[in-house]
Amino acid sequence: MVARVAGVFDEKLTEAIANSKILVVGAGGIGCEILKNLVLTGFPQIEIIDLDTIDVSNLNRQFLFHKEHVGKSKAQVAKDSALSFNPNVNIIAHHDSVISNDYGVSYFKQFNIVMNALDNRVARNHVNRMCLAANVPLIETGTAGYAGQVELIKKGLTQCYECQPKAPQKTFPGCTIRNTPSEPIHCIVWAKHLFNQLFGEEDPDQDVSPDTADPEAAGEAGASALSSEGTTSGNVERKSTRQWAADTNYDAEKLFTKLFGDDIRYLLSMENLWKKRRPPTPLTWDNLPGKDDTPAQHSGLPDQRVWSVHECAQVFAASCKALQADLAGRPEGDHLVWDKDEKSAMDFVTACANIRAYIFNIPTKSRFEIKSMAGNIIPAIATANAIVAGLAVLRAQSILRGHLAAATSVYLRPKVNHRGQLFVPEKTLTPPNPKCYVCAPKPEVGLACNLKSLTLKELTTAFKDGLNMQAPDATVEGKGLVVLSSEPGETDHNNDKTLEQIGLNDGCALLVDDFLQNYEVRVRLQQEDEEKTWRLVTDADAPMPAPKEEKPANGSNGADEPKPGPSRTRADSDSDMEIIEEDEDETTVKPPKRRRTEMSDEVVELC
Amino acid sequence: MASPSPKSPEQNEKSKQYDRQLRLWGDHGQAALENGHICLINANALGTEIIKSIVLPGVGSVTIIDENIVSDEDIGSNFFLECSSKGLNRGSEALRLLLELNPAVQGHAVQEPPDQILKENPEFFKSFSVVIASSLSERTIQDLSQHLWDINIPFILCRSVGFLSLFRIQLKEHAVIETHPENEQVDLRLDVPFQTLADYLNGFDIDAVELKDHGHIPWIIILYKAVQKWQITNPNSWPMSRKEKNEIRSIVQEFIRKDENGVPINEENFEEALRAVNTALLPTFLPVKIQELIYSSSATNLNKDSSPFWIMCSALRGFIEAEGKGKLPVRGVLPDMTASTEHYIKLQNIYRAQAVIDAEIIYRKVQQIVAQLHCESISEADVKLFCRHTHDLYLIKGTCIATEYQLGGSVASYIARYLEEPDVMMVHYILLRAAEMFRSEHNRAPGDWEPEADIAKLKTCVTKLLSDISCSPFPKDDHIHEMCRYGGAEIHSVSAFLGGCVAQEAIKIVTKQYKPVNNMFIYDGASTNTATFTF
Ligand SMILES: [Zn+2]
Repeated sequence: MVARVAGVFDEKLTEAIANSKILVVGAGGIGCEILKNLVLTGFPQIEIIDLDTIDVSNLNRQFLFHKEHVGKSKAQVAKDSALSFNPNVNIIAHHDSVISNDYGVSYFKQFNIVMNALDNRVARNHVNRMCLAANVPLIETGTAGYAGQVELIKKGLTQCYECQPKAPQKTFPGCTIRNTPSEPIHCIVWAKHLFNQLFGEEDPDQDVSPDTADPEAAGEAGASALSSEGTTSGNVERKSTRQWAADTNYDAEKLFTKLFGDDIRYLLSMENLWKKRRPPTPLTWDNLPGKDDTPAQHSGLPDQRVWSVHECAQVFAASCKALQADLAGRPEGDHLVWDKDEKSAMDFVTACANIRAYIFNIPTKSRFEIKSMAGNIIPAIATANAIVAGLAVLRAQSILRGHLAAATSVYLRPKVNHRGQLFVPEKTLTPPNPKCYVCAPKPEVGLACNLKSLTLKELTTAFKDGLNMQAPDATVEGKGLVVLSSEPGETDHNNDKTLEQIGLNDGCALLVDDFLQNYEVRVRLQQEDEEKTWRLVTDADAPMPAPKEEKPANGSNGADEPKPGPSRTRADSDSDMEIIEEDEDETTVKPPKRRRTEMSDEVVELC
Repeated sequence: MASPSPKSPEQNEKSKQYDRQLRLWGDHGQAALENGHICLINANALGTEIIKSIVLPGVGSVTIIDENIVSDEDIGSNFFLECSSKGLNRGSEALRLLLELNPAVQGHAVQEPPDQILKENPEFFKSFSVVIASSLSERTIQDLSQHLWDINIPFILCRSVGFLSLFRIQLKEHAVIETHPENEQVDLRLDVPFQTLADYLNGFDIDAVELKDHGHIPWIIILYKAVQKWQITNPNSWPMSRKEKNEIRSIVQEFIRKDENGVPINEENFEEALRAVNTALLPTFLPVKIQELIYSSSATNLNKDSSPFWIMCSALRGFIEAEGKGKLPVRGVLPDMTASTEHYIKLQNIYRAQAVIDAEIIYRKVQQIVAQLHCESISEADVKLFCRHTHDLYLIKGTCIATEYQLGGSVASYIARYLEEPDVMMVHYILLRAAEMFRSEHNRAPGDWEPEADIAKLKTCVTKLLSDISCSPFPKDDHIHEMCRYGGAEIHSVSAFLGGCVAQEAIKIVTKQYKPVNNMFIYDGASTNTATFTF
């Protein structure tokens, strides 16, 4: 029952809305608002999809959910709440990941518009490709604190989500994480890896034990370290950390002694590492700093005080027990998933990160700060979500009326800029980047690697992580030779062969495609002896076509200079922001520098 | 071995629920919000969308003033009304559903018309942090805005009709201590080190540091030493120009140790020092806008009713003229950097200790002033917060909305000036004002009943307004036609959008953090243009 709208909207729009079908991807802060706006505007057919369940920390903004809904499906509860307002709308809820064979190109084709209200880059990339393949307009949204943005993506008409290279995800060399941390974030990443090793999905790239292959440690010292292995910690390195921990029954003292005593002593034996670094100090369980402190007075939330090492060890022990119990209560072979809002998981990471920081003479941090850094948390509030969702649905109306040119990108700023703008709009749609390796007519990208050492398995990872494919198939261009098949088992026997061994050489091109995404890209292989893993070489890295004169914002002088301060976190729910950095200096007018702040788990490069 | 029973500091339910916003405005911002009391006049779709986004983050309490009865149209456009609400008081019904969003929020519904409250109980408005209103008559807008101006209560007036919407913020005086600038300058005082800092920096010998510690020297020390070395050949000067800064960079490069093969050893702290040359060597200065504040008459002529902000500004002036030797108090915040814990903590303590000393001096001056004026005391925590942000204090002195209706000299010429610009957004202000005038004259919205006949009537209103500001009539009527087509109806997405904007500004005002819009914002959903104006 939507009164009056018929008179307010012109006939064309009223009819377009009545015949429309909309897909909302994500039922978080922005998704809830979009759903409500669509229902109250009279959109008759809506599908909403979200994999998540409701958490307490959602309630400060996701207004379709109340306390009693915690733990339930976001998509389902959002649907029920919206229907209670208007039972005549046809809403279909999917408690599911949008990245699934069930939602192929033909699924996307049935919608007039897809509206993204997502919280991570992987899903955004995927939906971007699905909408390009299905040629459906996509409205992208995001907020970060008081800031936000709405942008239209339409094949051939605008930039796609992947047209501009994203700010590189912060990566840390594996040896920095495992051997020579120097900043709090290194210890936090290590602690998250440790969580996965002990309780989560085991990932060989997330090893937490000393890395004897560290090139810096090479030489005699490394060799002597190797030969000394097996004295204190036994063959721990050869047994899975999980298995070893389980064998000790997750005994906190034993775990502590290995992780913060034996492993550190082992690192100390790699003497080359400490020639120009301050060596770490191994700890002993029953003699920890802060043991005799009286609990300090503090103001604010308890988790805003920095805990002593002794307190950390206690929290470590308690959280280990809790997580062990959680794991034990699950079916055989199941594992935990680290979640910043899960008390024990967050306690565990705080404790381990701080203990390790102490050992390496790195300043320790409060649980509150570590949560920001470990969870890539970006503030999220109801107001900015409401603003962005309102704009998104108004944009959807323009698109339905056929006024695509009016649906330019718009950025909400935390404060009015010197031009008097609270909202900074693009004057026109931004055309696609002809060199984009996703939406160009013939997508192409270079892959720099050492063909002599990169294995086929690693090549698969490059396609999945680098090119955001879900199930890549690859053939050699011109020969039709199948290098990689997404069919299980077909090419597995080659997994450990190097690219050279299977006959690929410098300059040869692979046709790589992903059936689900309906996406094919030509990948040129470039031999680089120095490259330890792989690296994408995109033409998109080259400067964009000449910037338009009428850019909304000023450039950012010297913005390339990293600012001092804690490592900036990236994002969280709803936050995948493209922020136009502005400078107060009015005299220089340069194209805006875009910066997408986003959710991304840190990627660890092996070295 | 027996270990004591393990305990983790408990995180309470509230901090979990509000985690994502505490990272934006902090515990003290949250406390301010929880002490806040928002008054909404008229629970239409716009009004409830505003309150929704203020209830969710946990404002202390909400009062809705609304004497209207729920109609079918309300139910169709307002998410916070149910079919069963029909015929009941709109404010009470909306309040009931809004409070379901957050049980921590207190709510009150008042069923009297605002005019009557203004007449019979004007004191009623004194307890609010912000009053927000929409769909008011011209008369009520003038009376209410004047009253709220007189009693110094922030007021946000908003309108949402069809694709058009605007909000106007009325703040007599609003001081923001925490503006959260995007690029905050560090306050290191390397050009004018205070005694303890000078002692520490001068006592540090980079050359004597062992190789394994060399990579752990904070970049602040590296830069200071580089400047000292530079000053041997450039006595009594400070590196300002690009050339001079490059000279500093070269000196920093020389500090980097070489390995046995003469290759420079890559050390992160030296990289940081090189990157910091541009920003960290800015000379310490007293910003002009802060000078203007502390020497403004509000800060120099205090009286019993002076606000804490002006008392603190006055104390700040006292400090700058005496102990501070022309400089602001030390902020005491050190950025993260590559450094060993000892060096970092040592430096941090030096800056912090000086910040504490400076803040204590200012606090004593505040206490003296408070004692002289016999006014309410100001907490030490407030003074400390003030002292940490003295470099970016921000003050809005607004204007009263009632003056827009009297169209006195400067307002008329301001509007007229903006009506002449291309792509004028000011046109929409005139249209919304004309629709308001129409409503006062005809007791209904233009286009509500007879769209065709109303066009001429609305045009009369527009013409009258334009002649009042000595402007010629609009060359075309299409905007007037459009306004009549709306028939006074709200478009939900427009109200949802504007509701988010108004709530966001209200929270900025209540938490006294971030700079609110000063003072009018207009949105046209048809062209998707926005604009701000300062009336
Ligand atoms: Zn593209």
